[in-house]
Amino acid sequence: MLATAVPLVGALLLAQPGSEAPVLQPPSSPRPALTWGAPTACLMLPPTQHVPSGAWRAQCDDDAQRCRVAPVRELDADGVETDRPLSRATPCTVSLDDETAARVMAYRMEPARVDAPPGWYRDERGRVMQFNFDLNRRVWLGGAWTPMSHDGQVMSRMRADFGIAVEVPSRGGKTLHRLRFLETELHLGVHSLDLALARYDFSIQREDPLLRVTSFLGKPRRHDLYLNMGLWMEALHLEQLKRDGQVARFLSLGAFHAAFDLWHSRDLVSYVRVRAGAGIESDLVHRFNALAPSAALEGDLTLDRDGFHHFRMSAEVETLLLAPRVEGRPRRPERLRVQAGYEVILLAINDQPLSLLVDGRGVRRDDIAGVPERWEWSASAGLRFSLWAPARRSAPIAARE
Amino acid sequence: MLGLVLLLASAAPDTAVDACQALDSRGEPYPICFDPGDGLVLGTRARISSAGMARAVRTGVHIRAGRSSRSKGSPWFNNHRLMTAELWDGAQRGFTVTAYDGTLRRHLEEGFILLPTARPVRVPFPFDVTVAARLGHLERRFWEGAGWTLETGRVGLLLDPLRSETERVWLGVGPSATHAVRRGRDGEQHTVAPFTELLLDAGLESADGLSALRASALAGWSLGIERGVYFRARADLGLERVVLAVADQPVVLQVAGAYAHRDAGLARRSEWTASVGLALRALGTRR
Repeated sequence: MLATAVPLVGALLLAQPGSEAPVLQPPSSPRPALTWGAPTACLMLPPTQHVPSGAWRAQCDDDAQRCRVAPVRELDADGVETDRPLSRATPCTVSLDDETAARVMAYRMEPARVDAPPGWYRDERGRVMQFNFDLNRRVWLGGAWTPMSHDGQVMSRMRADFGIAVEVPSRGGKTLHRLRFLETELHLGVHSLDLALARYDFSIQREDPLLRVTSFLGKPRRHDLYLNMGLWMEALHLEQLKRDGQVARFLSLGAFHAAFDLWHSRDLVSYVRVRAGAGIESDLVHRFNALAPSAALEGDLTLDRDGFHHFRMSAEVETLLLAPRVEGRPRRPERLRVQAGYEVILLAINDQPLSLLVDGRGVRRDDIAGVPERWEWSASAGLRFSLWAPARRSAPIAARE
Repeated sequence: MLGLVLLLASAAPDTAVDACQALDSRGEPYPICFDPGDGLVLGTRARISSAGMARAVRTGVHIRAGRSSRSKGSPWFNNHRLMTAELWDGAQRGFTVTAYDGTLRRHLEEGFILLPTARPVRVPFPFDVTVAARLGHLERRFWEGAGWTLETGRVGLLLDPLRSETERVWLGVGPSATHAVRRGRDGEQHTVAPFTELLLDAGLESADGLSALRASALAGWSLGIERGVYFRARADLGLERVVLAVADQPVVLQVAGAYAHRDAGLARRSEWTASVGLALRALGTRR
């Protein structure tokens, strides 16, 4: 590749009248692509029908005596350059001195596709678009139809949901911190509100195994067992619901769980884990506090490289301890929640993904005074619009043209 | 209205940085351009309604911040209004306080919808997307008796067909979701509009920032958590013009009008108001 940090003035020499200008080769098929992040120079070549300005970006290989070149501006539908500069392309960081420019003039100039950053795709006109989305870093806003059933009755409901998700990996990539803010689900029809101010958890990949197990059946093999124990915590989780004319309001002031990853992906983004711990919960209707131990098995899987398909599931059991007796409910009320859902990105509007969400849920609880213990089943289908949603950290360079 | 819009659009040609400074008799420069979306606002005005005329004071912090998205590589034009408050006296005394009111518009030179086929397809989408959010809007009307109205949150997803490359022009229209509580003598009443209302937010400012027009409207249905479906509509129009600057801080003449249809106060009245007054916009940026 060309050396950097030489004067810029030589860049224009390649197209000077009177000099033997390099000839642009006819495009090959498949057309090669410039390499994202590689040293790039801006060149002036003789004007062509499609690139009348003669302004090109080039990545040159001294060994092959070849430069791959692409226009510095986007093209229109006829393939003629517009006045719109390329966005998100590797900037021209290499300048050519006189000697280098004279040498490059003899190189083969091969038309190429413009490079795009990881997670972004550039079409044949040079326009860039995001095709890889991180739904674990987003601000979402959604609505869904969520019919509910219990005791053979089916009731129609609507749901509005909102939330902010943030993921921060540690420097070495061995720990992934997850934060959720203002996760909100509001059901209309049969009213319920579920709002959590903040949640935090992390997954960790320990470097040292908890147990080193060696098997001697056949060739000796090591089977290391890691204890990837993390933390899950929540602050100010409000649940308000109305069933059979009875209103319940529970405010979890805080909860701490130990979380153990049964499995996680190499980048720690996808996981299946169990967690268990306790929180302090306030019953806002009967005005007392209780201890709320709970345990859960849950998973969050990103199913494809580009972050379009997601599967989430959880099963959680919770009970209330140290609560005073309340007429119409047991001394130690219990809650059991199960759910599984799938989210797929349908399209992206101005690089902001719009996704379809379907899920099924079941709740069995006896913590609402005057409401008998029973299963409530619900299903939902709805849309979510996500802001932010940058390309995933593991996003690849687009290979498609 | 069209004439007014044309007047604003032509009020000042595109000015360079130097054109925003004039020289006094001693040759010292002083600013003649200001940013209407930035500054600490403190003003007073006459508020006219069917109940008569009242005096009003209002205050708030306006912040205009443009930024380039790191994740998307495109510019955002953001307007934030923090702790906006208005207090008025007269026969129908009351006040409003808004913790946050803002719009965040992401501009793309060529908007599109991506269809994620094997080879991604790009469908033209000639709109910028704007997020309009308002949090914590409290209204108290003493003359209505005990009670208040609190709009806990409103968020709108607006489409802007103008797709202006500057922060001076915008027109966003789209659905919005709202949650509001009315607390009166009979207890609390919660209503939710799950994107069943249409929100409009528009603005036009002269290049020198001396004149500005802003309009907003909202219409649609909200659902009572307990029962009921409520239709409401409201529209606000405001025009302001810098008339002088004191110590280089602009003093603005403001003329505004508003109409609320089945949305005013605890009783969901229909009413109109008009106002005219002066406001000091201090510590703002200059163009």
